[in-house]
Amino acid sequence: MNTNSTSLELNPSFSWVVDMFSQEIKREVDTAIAIPAIKVLTEVISKSQAFTIMGLQKELEYATAHLKQCDLNTSISLSSVCELFIRFVTRTSLDFPNFDQCKTTLIKRGEQLSDKSSKSRTKISHLSNRFIRDDITILVHGYSRVVLSVLLYASSQGKRFNVIVTESRPDSSGYKLAEKLEEAKIPVKLIMDGGVSRIIDKVDYVLCGAEAIVENGGIVNKIGTYQISIVAKAFKKPFYVAAESFKFTRSYPLDQSDIESLKKEHDTFNICKQCCKCTKPELLTIDSPSLDYTPPSYITLLFTELGVLTPSAVSDELIKLYY
Amino acid sequence: MEAQLDSVILLLKRKRITGSFAVSKATAEVLRHYISTTRWPNARVLIDQVKAIGKRLIETQPLELCIGNIVRRVLYIIREEYLALKKDDHSRIKLDSSRNNLLTIEDPDDQDFQQSFNGLKSSILEQIGYLIDELKGFRKSISQQYKEHIHSNEVIMTLGYSRTVEDFLREAGRKRKFGVIVVETAPSLEGQTAALNLAKENIDTTLITDSAVFAMMSRVNKVIIGTHAVMANGGLIATSGTHMLTVAAKYHSVPVMVCTGLYKLCPLYAYDQDTFNDYGSPSAYLKFKEAEHLEQVHSYNPTFDYIPPELVSLFVTNIGAHNPSYIYRLLQEYYYPEDTLEDDDN
Repeated sequence: MNTNSTSLELNPSFSWVVDMFSQEIKREVDTAIAIPAIKVLTEVISKSQAFTIMGLQKELEYATAHLKQCDLNTSISLSSVCELFIRFVTRTSLDFPNFDQCKTTLIKRGEQLSDKSSKSRTKISHLSNRFIRDDITILVHGYSRVVLSVLLYASSQGKRFNVIVTESRPDSSGYKLAEKLEEAKIPVKLIMDGGVSRIIDKVDYVLCGAEAIVENGGIVNKIGTYQISIVAKAFKKPFYVAAESFKFTRSYPLDQSDIESLKKEHDTFNICKQCCKCTKPELLTIDSPSLDYTPPSYITLLFTELGVLTPSAVSDELIKLYY
Repeated sequence: MEAQLDSVILLLKRKRITGSFAVSKATAEVLRHYISTTRWPNARVLIDQVKAIGKRLIETQPLELCIGNIVRRVLYIIREEYLALKKDDHSRIKLDSSRNNLLTIEDPDDQDFQQSFNGLKSSILEQIGYLIDELKGFRKSISQQYKEHIHSNEVIMTLGYSRTVEDFLREAGRKRKFGVIVVETAPSLEGQTAALNLAKENIDTTLITDSAVFAMMSRVNKVIIGTHAVMANGGLIATSGTHMLTVAAKYHSVPVMVCTGLYKLCPLYAYDQDTFNDYGSPSAYLKFKEAEHLEQVHSYNPTFDYIPPELVSLFVTNIGAHNPSYIYRLLQEYYYPEDTLEDDDN
């Protein structure tokens, strides 16, 4: 599948895809980016004029190229969902050699797929519920809606636990998470990103979301995740990741520079003029990527809707998804 | 039928049947008896009935995780046989692929298991018969693997009294000459029984106290232990004292091998020392005569230890030797995820 060459060609007849995508996102504000993407791609199939599977796949590739290039592409999971969907089309086409039958089945299953994906967060909350006991302290990094739903569900089940949230600079999304937890009456404490080592021995385990889960069971997530996982390992605290299965990506990074291809860095690090203590900050060179890669040896367990997985089980699940 | 089930439940509650092997065998037999003697219209009804019985059995001895494992194995057998009959030929291949993944062709929730088939009962009973045979023969399959693991002039350390390990070492002792260091395992002192049995087989045995483990570890080539249960992440629930042994082994880079039958493989997770643990009576090591002096003293006698998977090197099971990171795969082959979630009593 040669997505590299097609990602640069933007077929103008598919620009409606981006408009529909933004509409779907606006309609359901808090869902993962995957569900609107699946809906849009299912729509592409139903509007398609192609007569063969190859034609259909070509149209889907144009559509995904548009989606990947648009401004709403804020997360890596969009590319992984698109790949997954194209794979899904190929697999279904092998079962139904008759094109019209295949097309109707695809549309029906596309709707089932988006339905299943929207339920994945609930399923993950149910699965992780056992890992949250009374009186424990959880350290959370970054703003992940999956982690938020896990914590809110556990709290609704009557469990009493404490949460420590890191600021998660540069976008300070930790504050947003802390606010939401506070509204649900969960005891929350905010710490600086640099304060993790100091607080780690009072923590029972670390819980993070993931932007992408890579082939060897490692994750790509907000910058700072790798650092926290190293500290957790040094103190023998479990490091758990909660993420949906459509974030599985067919990529195998060997070090930090290998993840640069996964996401276009939209936001450059903006210097806060009030915080910095120098007169001419523009003259300084700043290198602050927004993502880092955490290898599987630092991750204890992954909570996905496919079940609670060890990092070594991830490659197995990926193979099953893609083949 | 109820009478037989009730009598087994009573025996389990009163701990007349103890030990993972005996308990598992009793569970499998009572379930087989139940399935063969009662009338059930279809697989769905049978699954619900078996789950209800399973819950009652698990309540009798909640820490005996094998009961839950056997119940889940039986549920897996029921579902597999049903699906095999439903599809006639293709089902087994399809079931190899991920049942839970987003792209499954048939939603597993759609399988209501409500169709009735004629051959279902006999095929289920046949498979449960194989399960019981597997239970009876697992020690032999494990013992036969001694050749790859025990070599001449090796020093092996073991802890507690595990019949599986005893059979394994006995079989090896017939052909190879090696030494065994047995840890006493306070406060039950079951290591003494183990050492005696090994010595009777003319194996060079040394008995040491628990405190001498670290000191002796540098002379040991391998640690071979049994376990009470294997958790889903490859961790162990084993006799109290095992964690200390495995940490000492890790420090000296000594491989730790666990000999266990697959019926001890549990689809649950233990996240700390207390999840699947019990406290025994301190009278095992404290005399009642001293009680008046010990008013301010808290005594703990935990029954089990939780050993994280990083401390285990290899699992020697009745279907071969496996890495702890492979355990998830074995789980998928023996248990259904739906059963894992509902039978969980945590």
